[in-house]
Amino acid sequence: MISERLKDRFVDILLVGAMALLILFFYVPIVTLVVFSFTDSRVLTFPIEGFSLEWYGELFRKPDFLPAVANSAIVAAISMVFATVLGSAGAVAWIRYRFRLQNAFRAISFLPLLFPQLLLGVVMLLWFSVLGNWLGFSTGLATVIIGHVVYITPFALVIVAVQVYGFDETLEDAARDAGASGWEVFREITFPLLWPGILSAATFAFLLSWGNFYVSYSLAGTARTLPIFVYSGIAVGSSPIYPALATLNFIPALVLVFLADFLRRRALKRQKLATA
Amino acid sequence: MRTDSKSWRDPVLVATVAPLAIVMLLFFVIPLVMTAVLSFQTTQFYRLSWTWDLKIWTEVFSKPHYWTIMARTVAMALVCVVICVLIAFPAAYALATRLRAYNAQIQILIIFAFLTDAVLKTFGWILVLDKSGVANWLLAHLGLGPEALNLLFTPTGTMIGMVYGLVVYPLFTIYLSLARIDRDLVLAAYDSGASRLRAFFEVTLPLSRPGLYCGAVLVFVLSLGAFLEPKVLGGGTAPLASELIRQSFETRVNWPLGAALTLVLIVIGALSLALSAAVLLRGSRRAAR
Repeated sequence: MISERLKDRFVDILLVGAMALLILFFYVPIVTLVVFSFTDSRVLTFPIEGFSLEWYGELFRKPDFLPAVANSAIVAAISMVFATVLGSAGAVAWIRYRFRLQNAFRAISFLPLLFPQLLLGVVMLLWFSVLGNWLGFSTGLATVIIGHVVYITPFALVIVAVQVYGFDETLEDAARDAGASGWEVFREITFPLLWPGILSAATFAFLLSWGNFYVSYSLAGTARTLPIFVYSGIAVGSSPIYPALATLNFIPALVLVFLADFLRRRALKRQKLATA
Repeated sequence: MRTDSKSWRDPVLVATVAPLAIVMLLFFVIPLVMTAVLSFQTTQFYRLSWTWDLKIWTEVFSKPHYWTIMARTVAMALVCVVICVLIAFPAAYALATRLRAYNAQIQILIIFAFLTDAVLKTFGWILVLDKSGVANWLLAHLGLGPEALNLLFTPTGTMIGMVYGLVVYPLFTIYLSLARIDRDLVLAAYDSGASRLRAFFEVTLPLSRPGLYCGAVLVFVLSLGAFLEPKVLGGGTAPLASELIRQSFETRVNWPLGAALTLVLIVIGALSLALSAAVLLRGSRRAAR
């Protein structure tokens, strides 16, 4: 009996340990970058010799990364809006409606998720180049945004679809019975109920676009986003400014992830109160 | 979940479906068709010339060099799938059965790591795997191996990077299918005298198969396009298909060739998707009987 309980305990520890190790694995490169950003040496060897903020200073003395940051922000903001709107509308059509050609719609709105990003980028690059030849434009930020929307919308769609799936449609019926118009039902019932999912989708969309390398790399032409800037930098050789840049880059993501989670929980709590 | 049948004359349906459908048709489906069309053209003096012939395809099929790299890509993808599933399953199982109380926190931790810039994370791995990096310092201080391990610029380095980037997918798909398993089924197995191990292998594992397959297939198709890892962590010593495609576009400026190689990779991915869908369907049919 005791040995049985001991065995169970052992399995518990093993399983929880597996999860803990996986989280450790996820954070190894991230924590390493943060640690190295405070080094006082020019060579990046571990353990770092001393603590300094030298490389943050260096970064701002030569702020050639700022245009790339601006580009990334523009691309991420616009891609987020389009991906979230298209994905949310698509999710409702995926789950709640039945219509002709639905399976075709499902296939084309989901397949980009199954595409390696590099291939997605290359395929679109070919198309934009042919199109550009005919119409006289070249690839740049606009094509990056289109590429991001194609890549990111399926993610947004899946996230909102989960919310739509758990949706209680009797609330809509009640509103309609009480005399609300179609638009009022949408504004007062449907949209608020889907809001937590839409919020998560928007956060995901912004950060996926902000950190995207593959699609941007194929479609940016001569424009540079932050990941492309870092890639061309580390391709030449590692410099101690990149860990500092990386650490600064983590901050908006951190803020956004926690903010979105806070808002999502608050919305969920309100819903529970409203339905209780 | 109730569903509404809608006709295409309904403006609500058009408003929800049409924008996304048009974007995907214009910038995903047509580009795919265009890629296929381009692979039947040729280049002259680095310029595309619209001549329909099979020159590029005969080149692709007659050069064993391309197929060695394709085979290496598939082999790496398969190894990556096995490692990812082996890592993801126990963790997903723990998340679904042992760590319920901390689910939200753990998910945020994982999502934050997943959404961080891939180039920066890859650069982080350089600092870890480098000869004078974190990994070797740790090994030396744990008294394991006095000699420095050379992980950077090897296929092992590439594999660590690939697993790192993709293990999230099976983690979530497996977790989702484990979380959906009716606890009563497992309890029923215990009641009828099954040991914990037997209940796991005869109830839990078969029921988690959809998530397992979906995760494995996702890892497989996505790892076919790994590019940063073999280049930055593998040091370009053992190039994968993505590098071949990049070269045919950038170095050789041979677009039809790049298009053809891209198609080969897409076909490999599509075949594996179809195969796994067939296996999954047969499995669920057998379970229904």
